[in-house]
Amino acid sequence: MTVIDKLAAFEGEVPSSGATGPRTVRMPAFGISGQPTTLISLVTASLLVGAWWFVTEYGLVSSLFLPRPAEVLHQFVVVARDGYAGAPLIDHVGASLFRIGLAAALAILAGIPLGLLMGLNRFAKGILDTPIEFYWPLPPLSYLPLMIIWLGIGETSKVTLLFLAMFAPICLAAQSGVRSLPVERAQAARTLGATRLQLFAHIVLPGALPEILTGIRIALGVGWGTLVAAELIASTRGIGFLIMSAAQFLATDVVFVGIAIISVCAFSFAHAVRLAERLLVPWRGRG
Amino acid sequence: MLKIENASVFFEGRGRIVHALDRLNLDIADGDFVVALGTSGCGKSTLLNAIAGFLPLSEGRITLDGRAIAGPGADRGVVFQKDTLMPWLDVADNVALGLRFAGLARKARREKAEGLLDLVGLRDFGRSFPHELSGGMRQRVGIARALATDPDILLMDEPFGALDSMTREQMQQLLVDVWHRTGKRIFFITHSIEEALVLGTHIIVMSPRPGRIVARYRADFVRRLAEGASLKEIRLSDSFGPLREEIRDILHRDPEPKEEAA
Ligand SMILES: Nc1ncnc2c1ncn2[C@@H]1O[C@H](COP(=O)(O)OP(=O)(O)O)[C@@H](O)[C@H]1O
Ligand SMILES: [Mg+2]
Repeated sequence: MTVIDKLAAFEGEVPSSGATGPRTVRMPAFGISGQPTTLISLVTASLLVGAWWFVTEYGLVSSLFLPRPAEVLHQFVVVARDGYAGAPLIDHVGASLFRIGLAAALAILAGIPLGLLMGLNRFAKGILDTPIEFYWPLPPLSYLPLMIIWLGIGETSKVTLLFLAMFAPICLAAQSGVRSLPVERAQAARTLGATRLQLFAHIVLPGALPEILTGIRIALGVGWGTLVAAELIASTRGIGFLIMSAAQFLATDVVFVGIAIISVCAFSFAHAVRLAERLLVPWRGRG
Repeated sequence: MLKIENASVFFEGRGRIVHALDRLNLDIADGDFVVALGTSGCGKSTLLNAIAGFLPLSEGRITLDGRAIAGPGADRGVVFQKDTLMPWLDVADNVALGLRFAGLARKARREKAEGLLDLVGLRDFGRSFPHELSGGMRQRVGIARALATDPDILLMDEPFGALDSMTREQMQQLLVDVWHRTGKRIFFITHSIEEALVLGTHIIVMSPRPGRIVARYRADFVRRLAEGASLKEIRLSDSFGPLREEIRDILHRDPEPKEEAA
């Protein structure tokens, strides 16, 4: 055996890091998670608005079907100033936000513990699975008439409807979060002396949090759809009602104002959940 | 004293009964470092899971200092082969998890965690998160975590199996230091003959189907290692090679796996 090169040490100079420090890199997670998409989205949005402006400005589409961006903006100012369909704009928006906010809070408060329990306990699973699996696939609007008959035309029926629509995805997500808990992790906690309650609070809940947050995002999507549809049918306040009233007068520009408000609200909610994810589960996909 | 008496385990799987442990007897006394050595599938993990309380025995009994084992508990610390750190806790909080379960105040927890991280050579990593550490470092955190609750025995299931050989040797040295300094009993599983010889005061060689102890050895390499000898000196010492070959012969002599009737 011959020694080829005993001193294989790097003999060059260590590259100086310069004034700005060395170029740091990081391990990308799977998928696009972590890469910024804001600019791409902004460009897409402005292209869409540009196309909208173009087809209306040059009369390619009648303004009865598609109002001009400027008209919608103007209508927004008018509605914000004078109200619409018998109520100030803030009341319409407030009514919708109240309904979805209350229903979401209730769905989260009930869905997370019940879902976790269903993932852990045979009896909870056996008892709750049947009603949930029965009602969850139904379109919420199909049982809205029942809600109205049982609970009246007021807020209770709408909030209940929304609660039911949003409860199931959160509950199912919490269940699947429990199932994805590696058995070794639970065993590790038990050998560290965790009681059942501690295991639940310190291991099961944080472990299920990523999936729960995904469930909440889905629930909010379902919630907005259900809310507006319910307001179209049975309401005297709310953004859905505003859209319905405007449609009866073929006020397409006001319809657009309503749609824009919904999309801003829904976007803010989704963004809030995304912020919560960044705050609560920064380790997502890395453990 | 950890006493395992006539421990048998039968699994049922896919219509077959697997005889994973057969009337196994083993004592682990204070200060012992017992290494279970055997090929994959000979029941090592089954034995450890039974000691840890994850798995009930089909027959026989296990007692720790006179108490019968009825489930997992903080008196038996476990270091897993798989990474079981909690990704949402930083390293110090992971180490102190058992202390948190025990109701210790945060300040006391962090202090104890710091001491343990020092012991496993991770002094400055308390605020890092598990995903920022290498496999070897994570395994050290796992050891520190298991030691934090001051268990009566440390159970380790192939803890270094996933590490490269250099890191593995460092970890062996580290574990021996920990063992020497804390005086803990350790039950350690491996399928590496050299690892078994270097670490164990007692080595039990197991064979599969049904899982049995086919040979028992006492070794003093680990004491020499603890007293400052290097791994190299130990591997090159006179008695090491013959013993290694003898055990290798035992492992190779194993009867062909015979099928068991359902
Ligand atoms: N949960 C289980 N269900 C059925 N069979 C199992 C289970 N766990 C282990 N076994 C069987 O028991 C035997 C011993 O397994 P194990 O203790 O994991 O071996 P080792 O850790 O020595 O590799 C193997 O034949 C394995 O297939
Ligand atoms: Mg094993």
